[in-house]
Amino acid sequence: MLNDVHVLELLPAYALGSLDDAETRQVAEHLSSCYTCRKELESYQAVADMLLLAVPEAAPSPELKKRLARRLHGSELKRTAPARGWQVPRLFPVGAVAGLLILLLAVSNLVLWQRLNHLEYMTGPLGMKAVALQNTGAAPDGSAFAIVSGDGKNGVLVVDHLPELDASKEYQVWLVRDGETTGAGTFSVDEDGYRGMRLAAPDSLLSYASVLVTVEPAGGSTAPTGKQVLNGSLFNP
Amino acid sequence: MDFEKADDVYLIKQIAAGQTAAVEALYDRYNRLVFSAVLVIVGDRAVAEEVTLDVFVHVWRGAKTYDDTRAGVRTWLAAIARHHAIDILRWQGSRVDSRSVPLDDFSLAGDPNLPDPEAQAELSIQRRRVQQALAQLPEEQRLALFLAYFKGFSHQQISEQLRQPLGTVKTRIRLAMQKLRQILVDEQQPSNTSERSGVTYPTNRKD
Repeated sequence: MLNDVHVLELLPAYALGSLDDAETRQVAEHLSSCYTCRKELESYQAVADMLLLAVPEAAPSPELKKRLARRLHGSELKRTAPARGWQVPRLFPVGAVAGLLILLLAVSNLVLWQRLNHLEYMTGPLGMKAVALQNTGAAPDGSAFAIVSGDGKNGVLVVDHLPELDASKEYQVWLVRDGETTGAGTFSVDEDGYRGMRLAAPDSLLSYASVLVTVEPAGGSTAPTGKQVLNGSLFNP
Repeated sequence: MDFEKADDVYLIKQIAAGQTAAVEALYDRYNRLVFSAVLVIVGDRAVAEEVTLDVFVHVWRGAKTYDDTRAGVRTWLAAIARHHAIDILRWQGSRVDSRSVPLDDFSLAGDPNLPDPEAQAELSIQRRRVQQALAQLPEEQRLALFLAYFKGFSHQQISEQLRQPLGTVKTRIRLAMQKLRQILVDEQQPSNTSERSGVTYPTNRKD
């Protein structure tokens, strides 16, 4: 059977990006050494590329082009003046719960929040906890805070000044407990290297010892494989 | 400099060289394509506009990484748009909800009230082809495809969402993609089918 040798039946879903992590890895490894499957994938990729054309046409507001022009101009200015002082994190596109967590902490105790640059760890209202992560040589300008609710049910990660990645890669967050890593979500950053994301964990965030961020293939990996850009203890008991 | 008549690849090269006017020209050409795709994925106009901005700023920042031997500019843009939009869904922990564009829209023709200038003619023809191809799929296959591609769901998530066995979901997606390939790729480019691997494989496998 061809499928015993190749991964032909997995290719349509691979082109759509809907395989699970293990299957994605299996297909990617096979493709690296199989011309037959690469040619098959090209045809399915062509189909996937066309699917976006199926949507009904809609137009953004005329104002959007003006906003684009302003942002492009702003980007030019930033290239000549990259240094930025501390800013209150933008909430978009963090989800409502995640946004509320940040807002509560940032608004209620901005001064203490700013001190996180130096303190690494602090507790806030309602038992909320915020941890400053350390960057690595792979992202020397990167900074990040992990914020965890008092009951450990909710948490967010806010990163800034991480390098933008090409479309084939994403950052992936890992929670570490007893030497084992659990994926807590993937993300990419905007032109400022900024992003906020909710931490997705199967167990209470209070049960993990530390958090890592690595560079992984788009869609994420089942275990860390790429270079580490951020890390830090969650200061859990 | 007037970029209105410039081809896509030239525009990208000019963007890479720092010409903001080239980004605006690219925006004029493709803002509807990007916005429409993002809107279907995120289901909210305000969010879709933010993502559309992000996409064109990403192009401005990343034009140097564009490789015209790997994908056309439109394909590249569409991939960036989908990637950004699905990122938003995942960050928000989003699920299909009342804000989402109804599935029916996935196969309906575009808004006839929108202008269709000559420059958009080829795009319109391709859009119609894809819509007609999708209309040939059974609804359950279209739905599975929609969740996979436009919502970024894994097979397992689709299985849970639709309350269907995992194997059934896998089969639906595979059959849908095979059918679309037959219509959109094989029938349009018959000479390419032999150039492809030419392999056939069973479609009735029980997962």
